[in-house]
Amino acid sequence: MNRLPQIPLTIISGFLGSGKTSLLNHLLTQSGLENAPSEKSGRRITAMVNDFGALNIDAELIAAKHGNQIALANGCVCCSIGDDLMRSFMDVMQQSPLPDHIVIEASGVAEPRRIAGFASVDPQLRLDGIVTLVDASAHNVHSKDPYLADNYAKQIEAAHLLLISKPDLADTATLENLESELAAQKPDVPMAHVTHGVLPIDLVLGLNGDHKIPQPQEIIEHGFVQWAGHLTDIPRAALIAKLENLRPHVLRAKGVLRDAEGAYVLHLAGGLITTAPYAGKASGHFVIIGQPQMPDAAALEKIFRQNEAA
Amino acid sequence: MNPHLPHATHIAVRDGHILGVGTVDDIDGWQNAWGPLELNADFADKTLLPGFIEGHSHMMEGMFWDYHYVGYYDREGPDGTVWPGLKSIDEVVAKLKEIQAARKDIDTPLIAWGFDPIYFTDRRMNAADLDSVATDCSVIVLHASLHILNANNFVMEAADVKGADNSEFIRRDESGQATGEFLGQLGYYMAMRTTGINLLAIASSPETLVNFANVARQTGVTTATDLVNPMPAGSEQAMREAVDADDFPMRLVVAFQGNSMEPAEGVARMQELQTSNSDKLRFSLVKMVADGSIQGFSARLKWPHYYNGAPNGLWYIEPERLGDYLKAFTEAGIQVHVHTNGDECTEVALDKIEEALRAHPWPDHRHTLQHCQMATRSDFKRMKSLGVGVNLFSNHLYYWGDAHINITMGPERAARLDDAGGALAEGVPLAIHSDAPVTALAPLFTAWCAVNRLSSGGVTLGNGTQNISVEEALYAITMGAAYSLKMENEIGSLEAGKRADIAILADDPIDVGAEGLKDISVIGTMVGGHVHLNQGRAR
Ligand SMILES: [Zn+2]
Repeated sequence: MNRLPQIPLTIISGFLGSGKTSLLNHLLTQSGLENAPSEKSGRRITAMVNDFGALNIDAELIAAKHGNQIALANGCVCCSIGDDLMRSFMDVMQQSPLPDHIVIEASGVAEPRRIAGFASVDPQLRLDGIVTLVDASAHNVHSKDPYLADNYAKQIEAAHLLLISKPDLADTATLENLESELAAQKPDVPMAHVTHGVLPIDLVLGLNGDHKIPQPQEIIEHGFVQWAGHLTDIPRAALIAKLENLRPHVLRAKGVLRDAEGAYVLHLAGGLITTAPYAGKASGHFVIIGQPQMPDAAALEKIFRQNEAA
Repeated sequence: MNPHLPHATHIAVRDGHILGVGTVDDIDGWQNAWGPLELNADFADKTLLPGFIEGHSHMMEGMFWDYHYVGYYDREGPDGTVWPGLKSIDEVVAKLKEIQAARKDIDTPLIAWGFDPIYFTDRRMNAADLDSVATDCSVIVLHASLHILNANNFVMEAADVKGADNSEFIRRDESGQATGEFLGQLGYYMAMRTTGINLLAIASSPETLVNFANVARQTGVTTATDLVNPMPAGSEQAMREAVDADDFPMRLVVAFQGNSMEPAEGVARMQELQTSNSDKLRFSLVKMVADGSIQGFSARLKWPHYYNGAPNGLWYIEPERLGDYLKAFTEAGIQVHVHTNGDECTEVALDKIEEALRAHPWPDHRHTLQHCQMATRSDFKRMKSLGVGVNLFSNHLYYWGDAHINITMGPERAARLDDAGGALAEGVPLAIHSDAPVTALAPLFTAWCAVNRLSSGGVTLGNGTQNISVEEALYAITMGAAYSLKMENEIGSLEAGKRADIAILADDPIDVGAEGLKDISVIGTMVGGHVHLNQGRAR
């Protein structure tokens, strides 16, 4: 029968305010071909979102904007879905060229399994995974909501990956209870913490949800270290030196920064550190993620703030 | 519908408006001021009613006339051609063969619509039926309900249905063979992806709009709604051009799709759209969809939920977000119509409207619940208190009444399905609708449904308190709908000063009575003084 290449579909599910948009923003801006150290890891993602505005993509990343689509400079595309999912899938599947990966930001009340139905009927799609975000700070409210509790349970039930968001806003007891509750409900599903949507991309994309391919358990089980903050005026050579020192445990870093030579973008991806001049105003935002063996967030903060100009 | 003059013999029209209504002597006096009036006796033996107003329809209705009609009843196309009703599956297949033989591009998909299996109880249409029409191109027959379609084996092979194990969207016989029926949204998606035809993309062209108006006109409609349209930037110009043309036989009220952008942007877009309002085209309200449909098990029901035990349905928007939108539009003085089907959804919508009104009090907001099919008397009391109107989906009584009794709601709750009698008894402003193309657009048929409450299976829903009288139903499809659109000062009744929008009927509905309401022939309409006659005959 049909032997067309199948496009993986990832569904990001979770309640309003659970951090879906941050995660998607992270995937979109970090995933394009130009960020890729090799052909293999670069993905042109088409994201289907409820609302562009909330996504808040850096203006410098936007290449073109027409109708309900935004094309990013890195090859990714963003489409708004309104309330007609079928129409959106028709549009996206008629794109040329077709994307490498489709990520859909489900609405806070969507049942991800129903969305997954599109992948099961479209020979050109396959379900890669359902990622459900659980807001640690609101779990007790959401799981008892008189109108939404059934939805909440269905979203967790459908997950191939559970992400606990805003862990910093919940006390230790709440967090521990939540983790054991989720583990009891979904014993085989990997679980990780996420803050501001920042995760290694390969954790989220490539789940092969319907094919039970083994997960990189050690990364997920032990979590990973990350730190994000704003850096003012840091010379690129100094920053690169700090990153070199963190090898081999550093996995990913990105920043839109400034030094005496002007604004620049820095990427560390797939072991490669690159910098490029940047046309807009540098936000100073900087993110770093690494394996558990890397110094912890507090230590990272110290390291990166060390010779920041006052 | 004018309480001061419910019946009259003559009507005078000037400049698109009604100059006077009454006896020939009453009208005579106007000639002093307005010069000689010419007597037109063409419709002397007909009945004139205020033009009907369809308060909840979709422009998509106009799309189907690009395809081939194979419904049970005779139907007149927008160009006046009468498509005869087909009374058996064999007749449908014979008609499709005839069409296929006459087609030039025989490799392109053959698409037909309006097929209604309710009338064919001996067997269901299958892939072999459609293979006899063609085996080397797609043949697709859309059901009248738009929830099912039939296809031939060409489509089934392309869609690889053998590999699909999900019975949710593929009907199978006892032996597990796919029968050729594709079910629900996913079934439609599968068929569209296979044939490469995007039915949804065609739904918003100017041709579709003209077809929609002509279909509505034939049923006596002089104002219809396109009850949810995302109105992409600039799309209002083309719409203005089409609707303002003299030969466009209808007024159109467009509801902006509230959630197509963030609340603040939506308010700004609505304000921008309103600058394009004209006599015939109005952007006056916002539509929000809060849940799904009862027959699709996607409506949100209160405990004890669905009669057959199906899990509760879907929210189409987070209740919190619905609240945000209602607050923003209420603050800006923009009317909102909220789609709610299940009773849980109705309750939440009323909660959110109440919150919005506490934050931004507005005495005549006239927010309206659309469908609102499971509302209880308590819900209606609360709507009355909040100043919320209702537009009930009365056609459901006929099309899905039996399913609601036996499968979705159970007999007790189905008795109150689309309780027009209850709404009026509690003092809630009432309109009734078809939701075309979901069911047939024909206000007299909708009125018949609300008056008789008879299902297609021949069962009467309720105990009589839910029925309304013929007069009340006629009011609902004229003044009731006008009120829900805040246009009651312009249309909905025949009285001096209002727009000259008239439905011309072969018989007087009051004389015909409850039973024959749906069968009254519509001769034509007048819109703003322009007469539009039906060329063939009505359904
Ligand atoms: Zn509708």
